[in-house]
Amino acid sequence: MENELELMIGGPQGSGLDTTAQILTSSLAYLGYGVISDREYYSNITGKHSYIHMKVSPTRIPYDLSYPVKILTAIDAETLFHHYNDIDEKGFLALDEKVLDTTIDRIITMENYTKKMIKDDLMKRIGSTKIRDIVSYLEDDLNIEAIILNYKTLLDKLVEKFGVAASLASRYLSSIPMGIISGLLDINDEAIQYGVTRRFYGRESIIKNNVYLITMIAEEIKSQYGSPLKLPEPKLDMDEVMVVSGNDIVAMGKIVGGLRFQSYYPITPAADESFFIEANQNLGEKKGGVVVFQTEDELAAIASAIGGALAGARTATATSGPGFSLMVEALGWAGGSEVPLVITYYQRGGPATGLPTRGGQSDLLFTMFASHGEFPRVVIASGDHQEAFDDAIIALNLAEKYQLPVIHLLDKYLANSFATIPTPDMNKYKIDRGVLHRGDGNYVRFDTSRTISPRAFLGDNVIMWYTGNEHTEEGHVTEDPILRERMYRKRMEKLDLILKETPQEYMFKYYGPENPDYILLGWGFVKHVCMSAVNLLKEEGYKGGYLHMKMFSPFPKEGVEKILNRVDKNRIFAVENNIMLQAAKVTTLHTGIKIDRGIKKYTGRPIYLHELLEAIKELLKNDKKMEVVLTYGS
Amino acid sequence: MVVDLKSLRTDIWVDWCPGCGNFGILNATQRAIAELGLDPTKTVIVSGIGCSGKTPHFINVNGVHTLHGRAIPFATGIKIANPDLTVIVQGGDGDLLGIGAGHFVALGRRNLDITVVMHNNGVYGLTKGQASPTLFRNIKTKALPKPNIQDAVNPIALAIASGYTFVARTYSMNIKHYVETLKKAILHKGTAFIDVLQPCVVYNDIYTKDFFKERTYILEEDGWNPVIEPGTPTEEIEEKVKKAIEKSLEWGDKIPLGIFYLNKAVPEFGERLNTQISNYISLPPAKQKIARDDGTPILTNEDFREIFARYIIRRK
Repeated sequence: MENELELMIGGPQGSGLDTTAQILTSSLAYLGYGVISDREYYSNITGKHSYIHMKVSPTRIPYDLSYPVKILTAIDAETLFHHYNDIDEKGFLALDEKVLDTTIDRIITMENYTKKMIKDDLMKRIGSTKIRDIVSYLEDDLNIEAIILNYKTLLDKLVEKFGVAASLASRYLSSIPMGIISGLLDINDEAIQYGVTRRFYGRESIIKNNVYLITMIAEEIKSQYGSPLKLPEPKLDMDEVMVVSGNDIVAMGKIVGGLRFQSYYPITPAADESFFIEANQNLGEKKGGVVVFQTEDELAAIASAIGGALAGARTATATSGPGFSLMVEALGWAGGSEVPLVITYYQRGGPATGLPTRGGQSDLLFTMFASHGEFPRVVIASGDHQEAFDDAIIALNLAEKYQLPVIHLLDKYLANSFATIPTPDMNKYKIDRGVLHRGDGNYVRFDTSRTISPRAFLGDNVIMWYTGNEHTEEGHVTEDPILRERMYRKRMEKLDLILKETPQEYMFKYYGPENPDYILLGWGFVKHVCMSAVNLLKEEGYKGGYLHMKMFSPFPKEGVEKILNRVDKNRIFAVENNIMLQAAKVTTLHTGIKIDRGIKKYTGRPIYLHELLEAIKELLKNDKKMEVVLTYGS
Repeated sequence: MVVDLKSLRTDIWVDWCPGCGNFGILNATQRAIAELGLDPTKTVIVSGIGCSGKTPHFINVNGVHTLHGRAIPFATGIKIANPDLTVIVQGGDGDLLGIGAGHFVALGRRNLDITVVMHNNGVYGLTKGQASPTLFRNIKTKALPKPNIQDAVNPIALAIASGYTFVARTYSMNIKHYVETLKKAILHKGTAFIDVLQPCVVYNDIYTKDFFKERTYILEEDGWNPVIEPGTPTEEIEEKVKKAIEKSLEWGDKIPLGIFYLNKAVPEFGERLNTQISNYISLPPAKQKIARDDGTPILTNEDFREIFARYIIRRK
């Protein structure tokens, strides 16, 4: 979009890039801009290449990312090798003077295959892998401005001015990109001070040192280059924003939604959510708190969450694919015993360990069919931070209202990206605990006279039984055929009830004209990149719509069918981060509408706007083309 | 509260084999509940899978019959959510030390106030007599095609090493000893483990009633003192641990019953949670109000801004 700016900061894992991203995002949010900041990293603690990819907008809260970027600031040499193709014409590249003579062979942290591919490309295009030669090429061929600084000299100033120990000065390395970007964008000292203070709250000398370094570099940049990328005045109408990752916002939603027991076993990219809850678990003297329970494995995580739910607490567990694989058996127990339980599921690349720190959307079919036997479950997926907050609350409500497991799907892209979103208004949300039995007397837990039997908690003034076997109304084991049929049907009827009682605009949403020429079908984090693509293509004369799916189980068959019937089935393109086009498969299963064409990306990196635009055009121009596979991104 | 023993029975036919050691366990459990006067609505029996797994259906208190190996984590969730409940786990030796061994060990790290009763008969009964983790190597019970080639786990030593603070053994046919041991275990403020030796009349022809009758003796009658009081010096605690583990190795002509180890000096899990959440004990997860009367969340906009202040930015 016009007036928006994309930038990138790259460096080794452990060099503080995440901190830089948080400071920069806060400073920009403070000034009134909308920001999305994606973090891409290896499964590694120190040394391998990671980067922050950020989009800043004066007019909206952006969620989509695109290439090329206007600024690349590199903490190390490796960053340039990964990203020399990502910088826009007339863009800016900032580098440390000391890496100029580095060649790619010296980069030991880079994987061999990646290194060979990059080397081949560089040799073909430039005839050298020396950074100095790459810089000349970028300057000459793309008019990119190279900002070469001596990072050590900059850090030495900290040592001189504040007596920071020379051995500790390198900890401030990640503030150098912040200084450069502040200069180029003209982020003022007040905003810098704000961003740094917010990140290092209470640690005065760290704040002072960082602010000094950032503002000093910003001044130098400004005096040399002006502020060539100064952003237009922001026009977003928000006095207050939150800067949150997907993990953060889901955690907030769960706390607001009444979660009081969260169990988990450490796994990327889910564990940060549980850490967030634990850090914010005290809700006040009269309101209580949220127990966060780290278990010995995911089997115990789900089992203890079920136990807590039986006792009457709102409970959840958070995990990713490998963890959910272990939870599958107990998922069936929860379904059969009608237990309200939320599983927050952050998808990453699979199978097995797969791509532990990269994104994916390859687990939809798994979540829909996991565990043996048939039982009702809700599967919903969030498309952005705002949706994730709402869905976290709604998931807890659906679980208790219909007494079943709810799987809330998210992905790594959302989990690890920071966004600026409005502070939610508590008065807009409702807590629905469903039908509860109160008092004593003759109670049977699984009353078959109604689809939803009134629920009592263990510890109420009644006695109840639960079992993983088929059971009687009291909860005792049975193998009686008639009772089996009644119990089975009672459970499965919940799916129809949910469809009947849930607003359609919650289950899916169509963005586009009445009579589109094509429809993109997507879910999860592809939402905004699809919407942006549809909007931009309108200007080129392609009239399209985007159908965003949220609820997959139960599936809102009729509504979705109506939308998809607006176009020829050959003009429905699924956009997904998997190879099978799983959401399209589920849609076909329920509607009978065969969706054969799609845009796929399963590299573990998000779908970028520029590549999606090209892919849609390819499909529109060539009816015979069935799929486009996207691969952009390091 | 007076609880009538009869009222603790359900109308479900008890389908264990005639002569099964589980009858003793069932009977003793009901008696312990009655004698302690536990409120049936505030008592929960949690079981796994197998013959032992059926136990809750025969006792008229809350019952949760869970998955194979997972009784402990289910029970853990129940107890953490509502610490006012008395929670008793009934698991088999395969359940607790085979498929659920990880949970058995992890529970010891927490000292959560629940009682774990292990039905120890050396075989997987309901699947027709395979060797369980407590069957010794080279033993061939009736249904095994060949002698067992895997070694046995020592439940008492494992429990002590894992951190259980009450570790005892009893025998299912010695009802009096069983009832007294279970009552002490339930009253103990921390994780209690009882290894219950029991014959499996159908599949274990080695560890029979006669076998146990001849060999078992009561530790306490032998002058054994397992108790560690709060404030006991570390060296003394270590000495007691070593002696208890040494005692747990005794198996052969003489098999000790009784409390091997009882440590009162370890903080219970709820107390630990209360150090994180200052009102955990008075307002545990299951007892908190989560919505206002009009259905909106209990957290107001002011609460939200206070709790999450560090994530909120007021614009310039």
